[in-house]
Amino acid sequence: MTNLSLADLAGYLRQLGEGALVTLELFLASFALAFGLGVLIGVATLARGRLIRAAWRVYASIFMGVPSLLVIFLIFYGGSAMLGAVLGEFGARIDISPFGAGVAALGIVYSAYVAELVRGAIENLPKGQFEGARALAIPPLVMWGRVILPQVMRLALPGLVNVWSFMLKETPLVSLAGLQDLVASAKIAAGATKEPFLFFVATALVFIAFSAASLWLATRLEIRLDRGQRRDPARTPARAEA
Amino acid sequence: MNPLPHSLDLAAEPAIAISGLVKLFGDHRALGGVDLTVRRGEKVVICGPSGSGKSTLIRCINALERLDGGRIVVNGIELTADEGTVQDIRQEVGMVFQHFNLFPHLTALENCMLAPQLNRGLSRAQAAKLAMAHLERVHLADQAHKYPSRLSGGQQQRVAIARALCMEPRILLFDEPTSALDPEMVNEVLGVMEDLATGGVTMLCVTHEMGFARRVADRCVFMDRGAIVEEGGSREFFDAPASERLRGFLAQILH
Repeated sequence: MTNLSLADLAGYLRQLGEGALVTLELFLASFALAFGLGVLIGVATLARGRLIRAAWRVYASIFMGVPSLLVIFLIFYGGSAMLGAVLGEFGARIDISPFGAGVAALGIVYSAYVAELVRGAIENLPKGQFEGARALAIPPLVMWGRVILPQVMRLALPGLVNVWSFMLKETPLVSLAGLQDLVASAKIAAGATKEPFLFFVATALVFIAFSAASLWLATRLEIRLDRGQRRDPARTPARAEA
Repeated sequence: MNPLPHSLDLAAEPAIAISGLVKLFGDHRALGGVDLTVRRGEKVVICGPSGSGKSTLIRCINALERLDGGRIVVNGIELTADEGTVQDIRQEVGMVFQHFNLFPHLTALENCMLAPQLNRGLSRAQAAKLAMAHLERVHLADQAHKYPSRLSGGQQQRVAIARALCMEPRILLFDEPTSALDPEMVNEVLGVMEDLATGGVTMLCVTHEMGFARRVADRCVFMDRGAIVEEGGSREFFDAPASERLRGFLAQILH
């Protein structure tokens, strides 16, 4: 049935492996951007200022409403032109790579969701946590870093795990801007060998492995963030496996 | 504690001087021009019905509430909106809250170590030693490595007291420290507070624990509707209240 030589198979699988690495890098960079930007926006939009609220509503409605693929295209095709217009007079034309466009687009889109989660979690913290820190003369930056955000992360963790999983599944969109990621490599291999089933199943297995690793990571993180909470930490892993 | 070159000048100065303090919540006048002076080392108990402004008053002293009028001078530092001044005052003033406000993700020891490490430039080891000494003082050295959720309410409040003490403040504010406790835990907290009162620290305490007030307070202050109605030494305060409102209030809380 198959007339694929072992050497060819090994070659395509190696390409798949390289694609998987690109997907992983894209995903981690995008998530880091979404997380960092989302936390900043989440904290900033706590302010009651009308201007900040309005800016946030515009940001959220754009990036939660427009499909991610469109944002990727906008940044990939439109971004070069925009950067060129801004920086044009400095000479060199700036090209945005598919990878860069993908990180920017996914990072920005998902930062809106992270911001929403973070803000909700902050608003659910007892006011006394802020007052306790202020009464101890703990400077604001340290208060956020050592007192508030660790508790916020615990409250926001289930939501963040969702964002993480959705984002992982959206990464193949960037292949449509020309990124040679896992799915793009699988498509090439499938087309060249006429063995679509083999390569797409292999690709699916890689995503399942990523997602299993994510689950393991999330459980570890949950145990760490739950320290000091009433739930018995020794029971948490068993519960998550069940 | 920390003898400064100009400590003689400071000694003449009151620990807390409040004049004409006004605090508004929307249209509601929570404090309507309060004057109160607390001498160094003095123990003052503030009581009054709920909504009388007593908590608001002490929360203004360390700038947890912003003033809408009047002046507050703490150990010679006038409270302004300036962030540096606010931090200076908060270094002088420890606060104990009704709901403890311990940080749940840190152990008792870590709760106590955080501020001294940041504000007093202590190393981790020095801060741990200091925190241990103060936990010892509130009889909780053996619970140092537990998280707050593993401690009883009384123990949590004692950790909160130790945490405030780790800043070695010269003034301690207590905002109804026993109101959220189960009755059987009230005494362990009051015991620690009475113990503290034998030292030189200035204490300003909002509480309805009248036995504590009688034993510890140099002066009692009765507030109602955002104003000080009556104040006096604890003996005449309880035994010969001058105002009708204080008589009514004492009758209610002493049954």
